[in-house]
Amino acid sequence: MADIVLQAEQLTKIYSSADKKLTVLDQVSFQTEQGTSLAIIGPSGSGKTTLLGLCAGLDVPTGGSISLMGFKLNAMSEDDRAYVRNQFVGFVFQNFQLLSTLTALENVMVPLELRGEKNIAGKAKDLLSRVGLADRLHHYPSQLSGGEQQRVAIARAFIASPRILFADEPTGNLDEENALQVTDLLFEMNREEKTTLVLVTHNLELAQKTERILQMKGGKIIKDSAMQIQSILHP
Amino acid sequence: MIEYIIKIKKKTRNIFQDRWVWKMAWRDGRHNFSRLFLFMAALVTGIAAVVAISSLNYSLQDELDRNAKELLGADLVINGNKKFDTIWTKLLDKANVKVAKDADMPSMVLFMNTGNSRLVKVTGLEGPFPFYGEMITKPADAYSKVQAGNFVMLDESLASQYEVSSGDSIKVGTKIFIVSGVVSKIPGGGALTSTLAPAVYVSLSALDSTGLIQFGSRIGYSIYVKTKTDKETQNLIEQIKPLTKKTGNSFETVEGRKEGLGESFRSVYRFFSLLAFVALILGCIGVASSVHIYAREKRDEVAMLRCVGSSGWQAFNIYFIQVFVLGIVGSIIGSALGVAIHQIIPVAFKEYLPLKIAFSVSWRAVGEGILIGAIVSVLFTVLPLVSVRFVPPLTVLRADFVPGRIFSKTRLTAIVLIILFPILAAAYQTKSFVSGGLFSAGIALALGCLVLVATSLLYLIRRFFPTKASFIFRHALSNLFRPNNQTRMLMVTIGLGAFIISILNIIQGSLLNQVEFKGNKNQSNTILFDIQTNQKDGVIKLVSENHLPLNQIVPIITCRLSELKGRTIEAIQKDTTTIPEWALTREYRVTYRDSLTGSEELVKGVLHHFEKGKKDSVFVTISERMQETLRVKIGDSLVFNVQGVPVKANICGIRKVDWPKDPPNFIFVFPKEALANAPQIWVAATRVDDPKQAAKFQQMLVMNFPNVSLIDLRLILSTVNELFEKIGLVVRFLALFSIVTGLVVLAGAVINSKFVRIKENVLLRTIGARTSQIVKITLIEYGYLGLFSALTALLLSLGGGWLLTKFFFEVQLAANFTELLIISIGVIVLTVLIGWFNSREVINTSPLQALRREG
Repeated sequence: MADIVLQAEQLTKIYSSADKKLTVLDQVSFQTEQGTSLAIIGPSGSGKTTLLGLCAGLDVPTGGSISLMGFKLNAMSEDDRAYVRNQFVGFVFQNFQLLSTLTALENVMVPLELRGEKNIAGKAKDLLSRVGLADRLHHYPSQLSGGEQQRVAIARAFIASPRILFADEPTGNLDEENALQVTDLLFEMNREEKTTLVLVTHNLELAQKTERILQMKGGKIIKDSAMQIQSILHP
Repeated sequence: MIEYIIKIKKKTRNIFQDRWVWKMAWRDGRHNFSRLFLFMAALVTGIAAVVAISSLNYSLQDELDRNAKELLGADLVINGNKKFDTIWTKLLDKANVKVAKDADMPSMVLFMNTGNSRLVKVTGLEGPFPFYGEMITKPADAYSKVQAGNFVMLDESLASQYEVSSGDSIKVGTKIFIVSGVVSKIPGGGALTSTLAPAVYVSLSALDSTGLIQFGSRIGYSIYVKTKTDKETQNLIEQIKPLTKKTGNSFETVEGRKEGLGESFRSVYRFFSLLAFVALILGCIGVASSVHIYAREKRDEVAMLRCVGSSGWQAFNIYFIQVFVLGIVGSIIGSALGVAIHQIIPVAFKEYLPLKIAFSVSWRAVGEGILIGAIVSVLFTVLPLVSVRFVPPLTVLRADFVPGRIFSKTRLTAIVLIILFPILAAAYQTKSFVSGGLFSAGIALALGCLVLVATSLLYLIRRFFPTKASFIFRHALSNLFRPNNQTRMLMVTIGLGAFIISILNIIQGSLLNQVEFKGNKNQSNTILFDIQTNQKDGVIKLVSENHLPLNQIVPIITCRLSELKGRTIEAIQKDTTTIPEWALTREYRVTYRDSLTGSEELVKGVLHHFEKGKKDSVFVTISERMQETLRVKIGDSLVFNVQGVPVKANICGIRKVDWPKDPPNFIFVFPKEALANAPQIWVAATRVDDPKQAAKFQQMLVMNFPNVSLIDLRLILSTVNELFEKIGLVVRFLALFSIVTGLVVLAGAVINSKFVRIKENVLLRTIGARTSQIVKITLIEYGYLGLFSALTALLLSLGGGWLLTKFFFEVQLAANFTELLIISIGVIVLTVLIGWFNSREVINTSPLQALRREG
């Protein structure tokens, strides 16, 4: 059996405002292995982005626990979680989230620079070439199209050789042609790097490209395609 | 799966070891220079003000130290108000020191070429004065001619004012002198003294021959002494100390003059440095405000950095390095600007400085400026930047995510240090913790008032929003409430600058109003003094022949106090410190009459007539303030030494005196005839409105009564006004720093909200707004901002002016609303201009450009 990269147990997230309490995630449990791909789908407000945030250590759960590469994120400080993210995690966001004051090349180099690694420009350039932006190295995000920006974001996500990649609606802001290019790139690199992919999307077509789909509603997983397969295999 | 519930041992690097944060600071900063430049500009103005004033102070102190002896012109000066006894001559002869002498007295002089006359200080000189420094005359031999007799020299300003040149004649007393030249510099005499009482120099022997020295004349005699060594000076001081007590003389040393002058200038310096400090505090607020907006705008980028593994401190350090480095650069630029201003101040105010200040750079002031700048850059940026540390990475997924309040030791420390900073800095400036604390409390109160007025105004605008006004006016007004617009902050900073200028204008106007002669037609503006009893009738006749009113003709008797409430002055001096020495030992100029004048009001007691032959029948009235100073009440007894004759009197009334109104006014007034036989001189008061008539009258007075002096209050008024204007210039200059800081913050706010404004404009244009309408909205918005800032300043300055004039200066508030209106309009125009200048891009961006940028 492959290594478990991510394990969520009884994950609960409650937001409190004034005298109201809103449960956005209700005792969610799942786990995923190294090199697999997983899509989380569901209607708006179903808790999928919250789940992604908790899994990536961007937030802490109100209840339950989350382990990423064996690190129990809910027991760690924010800075320690940042360290774990830097070592093992890559991100691709719907709105690209590139640093506007840095060039494409500089944006890609940031995760490795944070590790204190040296001579990384070559690796960053290679990655940018791989995503088809060899001639756009010194362009700023504002000088790139949406598709190009997302490709820079993918290059940045892969530069630190992450063990797991979280993607939040990666094609949400792109036209059909660009969306297709980015999707292909994402899955191709995921396969090559043997990275675990966790994808949040509304796009069923995109979700179906993953090996497993978690369907959420009202803060709960209402359908897990892996379980369905399990039930078919072991009725 | 193996779980690691461990504390990660990651490499932690401090700000100096972490090269990445420096690299990121540079990468990010290179695109934000325009924004960071604005925060730097806020710092530059504050530091420039502080360095300029400090530099002036240090160079002045240095000059005082270097040229201390020049201030006195000698090693020692012995002063007295009567001719020196032979005992002095013997002592100085025995000491074998070089001496020079002078005597000075106020007197009228007549310029024979023009027929003009003026009250001057007539100074008789004898001997090789000065021993230190130099007397610069034009021509160079002017003083040697004066020493020969029959020649006079004039202060340069006086000669230029009355168009007198070498060879012209001047009548001093009964004698006519030839002008040998002008004095452009003389040790001991500042140009300020020369402005208030310009001098005419004659030889000491010639002064005796002018006939000016008569009974009652106020003459000051001095002996200037030059010793061979400082030790000899000390020995001489020891010898003359007992003699001064015996003869009633005083002496002044170089150190004493230096301390006195140094203290005077230190007081002025403290006042100005505190004003500069206000500019610095405003700069600090500007810095904090700019960085606050900057940090807020960086939220998304910080969240992204946190996602990819940056720690909170690393994110903080990136922006801290940017602001700190630029803070240092700003401090250096501010210090350089301050040094440049410092070079201008001595030129502009050279006539009011006792020494010529050489072109120099005070490195101490520059060092202090950079240090203060560094402290400000750290303190006032840490607080707004601390929030960067706590930006949750989740913001990348949910932009509206608001984390709970996080306790931060750094934030708490920054708040404590920010509170302490103005107190410590003000204490350093004033060299006193109490003054520093009080000053900081004052600033907090003033800023609090400004914030209160600004908040109230904004509240009233919202409460009574002009819903029926046209769209443009309504939209411009509602723009003031746009998030991040910093409207209140701008109203406070611009308002404070305008407030300082306005309140200065109000106080100047109120004080000058007291001595102006517009109101009461019968109020005197010309005072004739030193009239001998045998000249009294002649002077009255002269006034009458010139068809002038004789508002007062009062006798003046000089006397001193010898007993107070049954105790001798010496006994009181020994065991009390509650009554000031000067009040006990000074010479009082008193008068006698049985009625009150128009400038007096009897607030307690009654007026008593003198009953000849009756014991203890001399009753005096005393002015309110002196009654408080001497701590006496009605019924208390006083003994006056009137020219050697003891006169016992009891206090029968207390008068409230409006001193500037209808002079002369007196501290003590005796009943008529009580002092009728005492040696006395007379003072007359009249009013001359026509300058030609005034010149003619003065000319006739000098011709007929050369020893009688005349004070033209209009001349004093114009001199005081001139002085006010000069001091006002410095205050206005420093207030300008405050306004500039406000405008820098304004420019920052405009630039920082540029993209929000562009979006709004695009929306407006999309729904059909024309460029002219957008321009109008922008201009009106800044017009409102300027208007409300000016209104805040006006309201506070009127309130503050009223408080100061009523309780501090004790004069009536006299605000010149035309001038205040001009100041307000100036502030509005300046605000509109700066706002417009920085909004050009916002206005000129086409909707398509903006949409592309958005895409």
